[in-house]
Amino acid sequence: MIDFSMYDFQAPKISAYRCDTCGAIYYPAPMICGKCNKRRDPVTGKSWSTFDLEGPCTLLTWTRVWNLPEGYTKKFLQFGIVQFENGLRASGRVEVEEPKTGMKLAATVEESDERPGKPVKIFVFK
Amino acid sequence: MAARVGIVGIGHTRFGNSSEYDLADVMAYAATDALQDAGYLAQRKEIDQVFVANMASGMFCHQSAVASALISRMDMEPVPAELIENGPASGASAVKIGYMAIASGMADVVLVVGGEIMRKVNGWSATDIVATMLDTDTEYNMGLTLPGFGGMFTRLYMEKYGLTERDLALVAVKSHDNGARNKYAHVQATCTIEAIADGPEADVVNNYIAEPLRMYSTCPVSDGAAALLLVNMDSPRAKQFAKKPVRIAGVASATDTHCVHNRKDPLQLNAVRIAGEKAYKMAGLGPKDISFAELHDAFVILELAISEELGFFERGKSFLAVRKGETRIDGRFPINTSGGLKSKGHPVGATGVSQVVELVRQLRGEAEEGRQVKDPKYGMSVNFGGFGNNVAAVICAKD
Ligand SMILES: [Zn+2]
Repeated sequence: MIDFSMYDFQAPKISAYRCDTCGAIYYPAPMICGKCNKRRDPVTGKSWSTFDLEGPCTLLTWTRVWNLPEGYTKKFLQFGIVQFENGLRASGRVEVEEPKTGMKLAATVEESDERPGKPVKIFVFK
Repeated sequence: MAARVGIVGIGHTRFGNSSEYDLADVMAYAATDALQDAGYLAQRKEIDQVFVANMASGMFCHQSAVASALISRMDMEPVPAELIENGPASGASAVKIGYMAIASGMADVVLVVGGEIMRKVNGWSATDIVATMLDTDTEYNMGLTLPGFGGMFTRLYMEKYGLTERDLALVAVKSHDNGARNKYAHVQATCTIEAIADGPEADVVNNYIAEPLRMYSTCPVSDGAAALLLVNMDSPRAKQFAKKPVRIAGVASATDTHCVHNRKDPLQLNAVRIAGEKAYKMAGLGPKDISFAELHDAFVILELAISEELGFFERGKSFLAVRKGETRIDGRFPINTSGGLKSKGHPVGATGVSQVVELVRQLRGEAEEGRQVKDPKYGMSVNFGGFGNNVAAVICAKD
């Protein structure tokens, strides 16, 4: 039986995944490596390793959203897609006053309790 | 050779606010219209299969098993009925699966009904429910929404190809011109380029939704349903119907990465291109053969990008054709003759079926005055699910 409730509650981090068989890296993790077809067991993590996805990144595109869904009390939120130095990409919040595509940012991870339910980890690119 | 599948009946509610009504009733209304159109209402229990397209009645209406509810509303027991869910592409997926049921030999007559009631919840909640189709951990949880991805895609396109916000407004003006004449459209009103782009009040009238997308670059939240009656044209039963069939010449779907950030080139809509190529191949046609198209403009940028992926225009050039009026109803290649999602509305589960209803209306020559394409031979529709991760294309032919 798989127990998905095992939950490491520390400083918020978002993990990327590496297939130890061929070295391919992913975010988010697939259940089968797209390069070498190695399976990933989400409980034991055998044959796969994880690493924190954070640090320097480049903003590929961004938007400022004015009609936010239920739960968000801000006037607007900015979102973007970034590329990390290892080539992985991620979507998340952008917290700079004047975003510009191509600008260098740093990816941090925060916990958001804006929506009902358990808090979730979000990328904030600053 | 695959079976020849034709459409012999169409039905459609007026899109808009039907939130006072029950989803199964709204779907049954469109379905009954389709049966009447085909002259098959009294024979409805002889239908071999019903497929119902719906994205999220569980969340929008707190209602599940709508296929079963629909059957009883229409007094159609014991006809088999199942639900097809493929996000906002549920409708075209149901058309595809209806085709497959006939091609497999398991059915000769198939009723396809798509519907959604989105306005039982408020607009913020509707935006949230639609956003649940995004990847949970890496997109939805970040607070992202479909308009958010629409905005980010638009910015990339603008920076690469020189598209302007005014170009987006021109697409909306064109679509509203068509929608204003469509009896089924949600927003039956024209808009002018002065009001939404050039005039002094444009910033207020046409406010930002997800920069650089504005109100008039985004579809409304709509309720409604649409229905099609499909028949095996090679079966003796094909002679039972009042209307001459419009043939489904090609139907195909394809998928792309669930996470938008994992696309090598985020400006390429691979699922659109591949679904289109497969539909062309099945039909033995190419983009030059198509007379007009219904393209999934949930955000007007998608009308442009999809038209390029399908080969109607070169990559990065579609908006130049819009500037010249080529996609208007009287232009070289009319797009979104129904008004598109922008003006006709976008009840998510209904849209793909509604697009095919429009192909049939145009190919039969039954569109309203002022928005009938002149003597069309082939029409093509693209129904876009997720932010392009699951897309279905349909080509219809007037034989
Ligand atoms: Zn591997």
